Amino acid sequence: MKFIVQVVVIALLGWLLTLFLPWWGIALAGFAGGYVVKSNANFTAGFIGIALLWALHALLIDLNAAAPLAEKVASLLMVKSKALLVVVTSLIGGLVGGFSSLTGSLLMAKRKRR
Amino acid sequence: MPENFFLSWLIIETAPMNFRFLISLATTILLVWALNRSWNIKGTPVPPLGKFLAPSHGFWQNIEPNGYRLPEMLNLPGLKQPVTVLFDSLMIPHLFAQSDDDLYYAQGYITAFHRLWQMEFQTHAAAGRLSEILGSGKDDAVLNYDRQQRRLGMVYAAENALRGMERDPVAKLVVTRYAEGINAWINALSYKELPVEYKLLDYRPEEWTTIKSALLLRSMAQTLNMGDKDMQMTNALKLFGKEMIELLYPDMEPVGDAIVEKPGKWNFDPVPLNDTIIALPDELVKITGLSPPDPNIGSNNWAVSGSKTQSGYPILCNDPHLTISLPSIWYAIQLHAPGITCMGVSLPGAPGIIIGFNDSIAWGVTNAQRDLVDWYRVTFQNNRKEKYQLDGAWKDTRKVIEKISVRGRDAFYDTVVYTHWGPVPYDEHFRAENNRKHFAFRWVAHDESEELLTFYKLNRAKNHADYMAALDHFSSPAQNFVFASVTGDIAMRVQGKFPARKKNEGKFVLDGSKSSQAPQAYIPFAHNVMDKNPERGFVSSANQYPADATYPYYINAVSYEAYRNRRINNLLREAGSVTVADMMNLQLDTYSIKAEEVLPVLLGFVDSSILTTEELNTLNVLKSWDYYYKKDAEAPAYFENWWRNLFASIWDEMRNDSLSLSYPTAWNTIHLIKTKPDFAFFDDQSTTEKETLTHLVRQAFKKGVADVEAWKKEKGTALRWADYKDTYIEHLTRMEPFSYHVEHGGHGDAVNASSRRHGPSWRMIVSVEPGGPNAYATYPGGQSGNPGSAHYNSMLSRWADGNYFKLLFLKQPAQPAAGVLFSTTLKPE
Repeated sequence: MKFIVQVVVIALLGWLLTLFLPWWGIALAGFAGGYVVKSNANFTAGFIGIALLWALHALLIDLNAAAPLAEKVASLLMVKSKALLVVVTSLIGGLVGGFSSLTGSLLMAKRKRR
Repeated sequence: MPENFFLSWLIIETAPMNFRFLISLATTILLVWALNRSWNIKGTPVPPLGKFLAPSHGFWQNIEPNGYRLPEMLNLPGLKQPVTVLFDSLMIPHLFAQSDDDLYYAQGYITAFHRLWQMEFQTHAAAGRLSEILGSGKDDAVLNYDRQQRRLGMVYAAENALRGMERDPVAKLVVTRYAEGINAWINALSYKELPVEYKLLDYRPEEWTTIKSALLLRSMAQTLNMGDKDMQMTNALKLFGKEMIELLYPDMEPVGDAIVEKPGKWNFDPVPLNDTIIALPDELVKITGLSPPDPNIGSNNWAVSGSKTQSGYPILCNDPHLTISLPSIWYAIQLHAPGITCMGVSLPGAPGIIIGFNDSIAWGVTNAQRDLVDWYRVTFQNNRKEKYQLDGAWKDTRKVIEKISVRGRDAFYDTVVYTHWGPVPYDEHFRAENNRKHFAFRWVAHDESEELLTFYKLNRAKNHADYMAALDHFSSPAQNFVFASVTGDIAMRVQGKFPARKKNEGKFVLDGSKSSQAPQAYIPFAHNVMDKNPERGFVSSANQYPADATYPYYINAVSYEAYRNRRINNLLREAGSVTVADMMNLQLDTYSIKAEEVLPVLLGFVDSSILTTEELNTLNVLKSWDYYYKKDAEAPAYFENWWRNLFASIWDEMRNDSLSLSYPTAWNTIHLIKTKPDFAFFDDQSTTEKETLTHLVRQAFKKGVADVEAWKKEKGTALRWADYKDTYIEHLTRMEPFSYHVEHGGHGDAVNASSRRHGPSWRMIVSVEPGGPNAYATYPGGQSGNPGSAHYNSMLSRWADGNYFKLLFLKQPAQPAAGVLFSTTLKPE
């Protein structure tokens, strides 16, 4: 449960912060989400939160696209298809989300016995 | 990279807490840093992946949603009164301003909205600043391009152009307000809103300055008016002798009508020229790789008088042939303010309308070929090049240190030496083949001039007198201005700053140690070639020779057009009761007089008894060809290959590794084939036996057929001209996904002069009527420069199919007008 809350918080914060911050606002979102809502899989939560946010955002934009720019960029970056470009996009966001969330969770954290 | 991050993750999982935090933090920061900057991995540039792929800021933001529009209201600093902008269904903006001040400000702002990246990139290219964005390129190709631009004095030319502009208060206001409008757009841009090319190449737009408009105009002059073969002719003179070069490269080919034919009616006394002898050089200039102007850059324009049209009003047509690229070279716009209601196309980066119409007149341009370049041999006192010889004394040079910033490298410094003639582009540091000889480059477009005023006045012209007054400000690039007015006048004027030359002057390199070698005078504008309401009922130009033989000034150029112009005149002469549809057909006409004139001759050389089956088939295809370069035709590809191989084998003497030589024209080659079958050049120099013309033609035929068969085999498709020609419209960055292949007929020698990379960049037909102009047009691209916009290529398919759009010409900003998509009001802040 805590994990899901963490995913949602990170995704929402990521969306909110990048409304006025540059793209790396997602790192702050991950960090905050990791620090405030500690789960037992902080990296994964950050990863999924941002990856989902980016994939959804990209898909939403493309749903109403007036021109096939995503296809063109996929071809430029030598990614085979638009679908794959969405995947690459979300993976890159996910990595930043994951590491920042992990970092947040480790700030002033007590080592938990496993 | 991924393994590294996996490794950090492992370390984090196993390290003590504080340490784990620090490692995790460091990894995150490193990751964000790495994704926030561009990389160059083994020569392949990689954009900043995080920044670029972030849906919130990256390229995804450049994908326009369906029905994308500007806000209804925009508050702009520096605007004086509100400006209404209506966008029609082609995304052409119609600007309604209350003063010139606001009109040009709004033009800058709206043009930047659609074309900012292109505007800046083109002016960077003109100024020799591409290395800043692209790096030095493979084998320093980009850096060398930049150095060449600097060394040819492009920035120097633009500075002079700007000085000319700023001397006149009106031109100064126009160019300054235009710049302010562009900057208003730039200043409001965050990363998210940058055109996608900036994101890909990872840089930001800089402030727009007035010099950039000057650079753009001079870059157009470079495309159109820097054609020259003085060094090549000097070499030919030395190698072949004077008699032979007159045979190979005649100044005037006796073909077709000149642009203006009025024998004996040049009612002025030409400027007298003294009889100083221009000594012919006797030397070889070993600079290789000087590129001649592309023969496919040319244009058509004509105006038919009301006496020949169905409506009784004149029809004016223009299609400039340029390198066709994306974002499109032209940007269509309507400008409306007190004193002006004008529509047409502008060059993104320059204020005003270059080709267009208003409610009283229409005008268009084609390039006016003329020798406007001279090379002066310069002797420096020593290798410090601080002084050069002039009239028996040593005169100081001026050295300009050009700093070329190179991305990913230290800046490159180049010293360019200027004489009073102009810069010395080639020396031991650049194209060093001939480093013991130096030549100064003199180009008419290096001079101060005031072309902006021409367009300012033409845009507002009401009649022929206004048109003439507007053209009096125009120096460069020399153009053939066609004109038609509601009052029924049609006119043509070859306008530019032309040196008044003695015969053969400027055809070869000149002696730069004597100031007497400079042109003594320029042809007074009133003596330029021009005509109004000729008896034949039409005026036309297609880059051919400008005037009949009685015109009292010496004229020469690299070459003059020989085929399109005759086809246009033949059809216009026969035409009566002309309609707009007839004019569309003429612009789209793919008939080649060249093929008509040479193919039957070539076929006469072929001996069908010794041909293979494939060759026999080809022969039959060619025999039944109607000389139209239609999309589906088979014959054009065979003919082109036959001709190309023949041309190359006839002029094999001109391929020289150590010096540049000029190729004779196609027309003259055909003329020699017909009139001098024993001409010395018809012998292949690479073989010892003596070849005959018959041998060359047969050999070229076999080779031509083989080339086409190889193409067919490679492509695995049937032969069609459109596929073979493969018209390719390339994005300025050469990025393939942003470019298009289109199917289109035509040929450089046909009226529809569409070749692989060049062609009609704007087709316009205007019926000039008292009720308002009826204008039809199309261009191969679209109004938006954004590959993520529906308007990036919205006119392309219609252009390719030979269809036109009827242009919406609005008299008032009233809404709703039929055909208007949306409106935006620009408001003072």
